[in-house]
Amino acid sequence: MRSRSALLGLILTAAVAAGAVMPVRAGQSDDDCLTCHGDPGLKSDQGRPLHIDGAGFGASIHGQAGMACVDCHADLKKFEDFPHAAKLKPVDCAACHEKAFAALSGSVHGRPKAGPDPVTVQCKDCHGTHDIRPADDALSHTAAINIPDTCLGCHLERVQTKRGEGFAARYKESDHYRALAKAGLSLSATCLSCHGGHEVRPVDDPRSKVSRRNIIETCGACHSGIERDYLSGVHGKDYVKGIQDVPVCTDCHSEHDIRSPEDLDSEVYATRVAAVCTRCHDDERLARQYGLVTSRLKTFSASYHGTASKFGEVKVANCSSCHGHHAIRPSSDPLSSINPANLAATCGTCHPGAGENFSKGKIHVVSEKTENRWAYTVKIVYIVVIAGLISVFLAFIIADLYRRARVRWKP
Amino acid sequence: METLTGPGLIRDDEVFLRMNLAERLQHILLIVSFTLLVLTGLPLMFYELRLFKSIFSFENAFALRGLLHRAAAVILIVDIVWHFGYTVLTRRGRENFRELLPGWKDGRDAVALFGYNVGLSRWLYRKGILRTFFDRRPFWKFERPPEYGRYNFIEKLEYLSVAWGSLVMIVSGFFMWNVELSLRIFPLWVHDIFVIAHGYEAMLAFLAIIIWHMYNVHLNPEVFPMSHVWLNGRITGHELRTLHPLEYRKILASRQKALEPQAAAAVAGDEQVR
Repeated sequence: MRSRSALLGLILTAAVAAGAVMPVRAGQSDDDCLTCHGDPGLKSDQGRPLHIDGAGFGASIHGQAGMACVDCHADLKKFEDFPHAAKLKPVDCAACHEKAFAALSGSVHGRPKAGPDPVTVQCKDCHGTHDIRPADDALSHTAAINIPDTCLGCHLERVQTKRGEGFAARYKESDHYRALAKAGLSLSATCLSCHGGHEVRPVDDPRSKVSRRNIIETCGACHSGIERDYLSGVHGKDYVKGIQDVPVCTDCHSEHDIRSPEDLDSEVYATRVAAVCTRCHDDERLARQYGLVTSRLKTFSASYHGTASKFGEVKVANCSSCHGHHAIRPSSDPLSSINPANLAATCGTCHPGAGENFSKGKIHVVSEKTENRWAYTVKIVYIVVIAGLISVFLAFIIADLYRRARVRWKP
Repeated sequence: METLTGPGLIRDDEVFLRMNLAERLQHILLIVSFTLLVLTGLPLMFYELRLFKSIFSFENAFALRGLLHRAAAVILIVDIVWHFGYTVLTRRGRENFRELLPGWKDGRDAVALFGYNVGLSRWLYRKGILRTFFDRRPFWKFERPPEYGRYNFIEKLEYLSVAWGSLVMIVSGFFMWNVELSLRIFPLWVHDIFVIAHGYEAMLAFLAIIIWHMYNVHLNPEVFPMSHVWLNGRITGHELRTLHPLEYRKILASRQKALEPQAAAAVAGDEQVR
């Protein structure tokens, strides 16, 4: 905004200056340029179209501000002889847009990519050339509604990140995109909201808006209530301490294709939550390092909740039904939903009236032998009885068949 | 033996009623409910199997499974209640129940059948090994298969298993069906026992039926491919004599008894004529 008013100031000054010396204005007028470039068929020797849509430029932010062709194509100011040289100097946007250009230079787009095909992204790659409009204009390349396609212009195929092909395009499957494109909600998160604009940096750069250090704040810019909950929970408290292994938003919700938990394909859809949580909670290394209790998936799956969940039933409890999601607290915390004092209320959301008996017993324990003694004893007795009885049955059957065979094959 | 008991008192092709219509219907209801219960319940024990997951892949499959399971449970409960009433209230039911009560003889029969089938004792005896022991205790020679009454030890075991199994399954299942009620009465660790018992009792019942019952009434070469008693309820005089000799002799004795006054009367009549 500030650069735009600076620009306007500059233009006005230029206009006043130009007005003072009107009859001997240097260079060509736009009409001069369009004499040739207004011809839709005009092409360079290599076949590159050289046509300029004069009306389109007139409607652009620069056209509206009264800027002339030669204000950007400054090296044409001195040309007298036409047609002019085939090769012009690149337009220097930085001459006016200093700050944006500085930000871009520091970003991943401003650095040549290592490798045989260095790419430096230029202003025009995102903003366009003659048709540049302000971001709040729906026709702008950088309008919220058009940002995904502008970025995907390169990131769909040509420019891959470490996550491989199609990673960026998965944004189009997200609820963010659905809100943007289907509901026309221009406040919804676009590429820009998370990655930043000119200052976009790779995820492993600590200054990046999407780095593990900053992602909570980035998502929290819109989801501030969730950020608050997260920071109050066990994950958030460790996050603040700078522990790198703690899950951040994207670890559970995925990155680009973030979907509502009600969406079947969501990472946090009811039947998939257990898999997401146990990615860390059943991980041996993390368990050792942070003293986590493992076998969470196994013991959950063996319960009715877990089994039903495996068969696609969504009404049964998953991890988050009892433990909460953003503000998960350890059972020792009096505010925790699984603190023994709160179990009646937590379990009671699905099992009304069951009350305090819920806290008299343990749920998905690592060692049934020590922590769920009676059920374990019953189980062992059954296993012994089943094994014994079935062995006896088989012995009787084999003995019976043996006698029959002997009678039949007797000479 | 035939000559002793008098030919014609029980002909080999005479038809006896082993299962009446009510008993056959109770058995069929048991088959229907048991099969449904196994099909809709067992997948929960084997949730890792891909097969079950692909079967339950359609929408609301799991809810439908639960509905079917509980419907089958209701059928089973109705069946058990019917059978219980039938056993208490009808004379035949009470008589069947008395015949089904296990005794020491059933244990001996089981050992005897196994010993007879293996034939090790007879072989040892022929070889002169342990002859004094066998002479003193001829039971352990297992020379003849055991003789059964109306119900042999196999059938008694199956009947009592169904009785015990139904009790466990209905009680634990009822409280699993009504979790809230269960937890209003019991602490969680008791409810956990219901869940464990329900699953493992189901495994036991399923394996017992698949292995033991299926062998005895289907795959056993004697009845293969299938004993038809469960359909027509009939057993022939021949089958009675070979499979249930004690019952056979009981019927024979009662018929002889019934004949005696007639015979006496006949003799008396003869004398009068004379």
